[in-house]
Amino acid sequence: MQGCGITETGWLCLVNPDKMHWYHWISLASLGICLLLSLVHLIRLIRLGRPTEYATPAGKINPAIGYSFTGAMSPAKKETAFLHLPTYFAGIAYHLGTFLAILLFFLSWTGITYPVVLRFAMAIFLLATSGCGSGILIKRMLKKGLRSLSNPDDYISNILVTFFQMVTAVVLLWDKAYPVYFILTSMLLLYFPAGKLKHAIYFFAARYHLGFFYGWRGVWPPKQA
Amino acid sequence: MATKTSLTETGMEVLTNGQITKGLEVFEQPAGSKLLTHLNSCVHCGLCAESCIYYLTTGDDRFTPARKVDIVSSVYRRYRTFTGKNLPWLVNARELNRATTDEMVDLLFGACTMCGRCTMHCSIGVDIAYLVRTGRTMLSNMGMVPATLQSTVNAAVESGNNMSIPTDEFVATLQWMEEELIDEVADPNARIPVNETGARILYTLNPREPKFFPLSISAMAKIFFAAGESWSLSTKMYDVTNYAYFSGNPSEARLIAERLRRETGDLKAKTLVLAECGHGSRAFRWEAPNYLQEHFPFEVKTSVELIAEYIRDGKIRLDPEKIKDVVTLHDPCNLVRNGGIIHEQRYILKHFVPDFVEMTPSGTDNYCCGGGGGQLAMSEYNDRRMKIAEVKAEQIRKTRAKIVVTPCHNCVDQLSQINITFKLGVKIVTLAEIVADALILENEKK
Repeated sequence: MQGCGITETGWLCLVNPDKMHWYHWISLASLGICLLLSLVHLIRLIRLGRPTEYATPAGKINPAIGYSFTGAMSPAKKETAFLHLPTYFAGIAYHLGTFLAILLFFLSWTGITYPVVLRFAMAIFLLATSGCGSGILIKRMLKKGLRSLSNPDDYISNILVTFFQMVTAVVLLWDKAYPVYFILTSMLLLYFPAGKLKHAIYFFAARYHLGFFYGWRGVWPPKQA
Repeated sequence: MATKTSLTETGMEVLTNGQITKGLEVFEQPAGSKLLTHLNSCVHCGLCAESCIYYLTTGDDRFTPARKVDIVSSVYRRYRTFTGKNLPWLVNARELNRATTDEMVDLLFGACTMCGRCTMHCSIGVDIAYLVRTGRTMLSNMGMVPATLQSTVNAAVESGNNMSIPTDEFVATLQWMEEELIDEVADPNARIPVNETGARILYTLNPREPKFFPLSISAMAKIFFAAGESWSLSTKMYDVTNYAYFSGNPSEARLIAERLRRETGDLKAKTLVLAECGHGSRAFRWEAPNYLQEHFPFEVKTSVELIAEYIRDGKIRLDPEKIKDVVTLHDPCNLVRNGGIIHEQRYILKHFVPDFVEMTPSGTDNYCCGGGGGQLAMSEYNDRRMKIAEVKAEQIRKTRAKIVVTPCHNCVDQLSQINITFKLGVKIVTLAEIVADALILENEKK
């Protein structure tokens, strides 16, 4: 079948199960488990809902929640960002790389193909962002304060995501790497709901609650005097 | 309350099963998804360190806010998550034992003012101060609140005010202050009304006012007089503070809040005005309705908002030539960052202080004075409290101000100690005091 991956033999192609190998099935099963357990986290959050507030509000909630996800996250406002700009930008790049790698993984099910230039561009980008991830990992290992704060989950999570980006970059250029790619992706998917990677779900809830808290009290969004 | 058992072989006291069960109950509290969210959100980036005055002044990694989050969430992970129950080493899931609680007491009570500065700047959005309070509640459930802080709570619970001031002593102080007021405003009809039913406003006090600084009562009384306000104090329940908020004991916090709510209702006041007390304002305005699970049938506002209203409505006038020194403002964390009262105090000061200088940073980013979170009540941490005050001392020094205004009596206490320790040579006053000094009274207007 034409259009099944970066080369005709490379990527997984759901539309043609004859081309699926054991590692494809493992990654598919891992994805199912990951989505199911993530859904458990998500449903639990939704079921619990937001806390009941009895105090008379001093502000509006929705603009505050909006601000929580936008202005409050900017380096201009967030001290953790403007005091640590290299880490901040490395973190943003690292997350962008992760989003791209995840997108490519999902697109792989469609059998989409990419022009050579785009493949190279994405591979270089992913190598750069995995470099950012490695930098963050090295910082965690070298800085005493961060080291003492860290547990094995912190290192494993970083290593899995960084390798995921690296292998995605490699497989974009060299299709022989795809067994390794799918095995590593499966490991990442299985680990996701168990460790700190699940902050991908809780992050949104945390920003929501923070916006709700400050919005109710009229602190966010900042008002002009 | 659970009792502690005998010593282990290593000489360390162990916790009873009852204590552990009570401690873990904190994870079942009704908070919607808020608690679950924040317990699961920290990614250990450690970037919050510089937001904390404990870390800034000591450089001690133990004081990083993320460490405070982690000790609470590590217990949660151990007992409430699949990974923590089965692979505790993987996620640093900790047993709730004596070593853990000892560390929790030191970090959550002794190394955090719950100012919430780290919360506002957290890269993820973890409500760190909320988790610290959750950890304090866990310790409170286990009977492990520092005795010094607990004695302040006990005083409020048993006597009705946190300084156990007898009612007759309080009434005598008010009478004395009323005489002072009459002299100052030169009007024999000036009063400090007590227990008046149907007055528009029921006003509260921080017990340190009648105990140590009664002139701050007459200062506010002078403002009420100038505004022609209908107001009253209660001798039965006037304490605006609620240290059970800091000790993390919701049932004691509820009891204290309920007294003030009931008294406001009994005296049929339309508005309860909270005196200049950061945590007291927060505890009653924002937390008490949740403690009591009801929408209050009366308005609750701070004296800061009230004074700003008086100025806007032209009910009081202030002399812009009265204050000649450079004035700066300290923002109480619970009133400003956690209470939304950000611009009113600035509006008031800029209205009549010609030389007003902001601290850097200020407003919602302001640093805690170091006296919050019940620190002033916990004498065992006094050295640490004065160490973290270095940040505030430096902030004040850089303004070159001669007067530091703060709408919080706890902050006044801490700033007064900072003033002496760091030889700042400034005058520390409340907002009501500086406003009362500059009031133009009706007879003066004529």
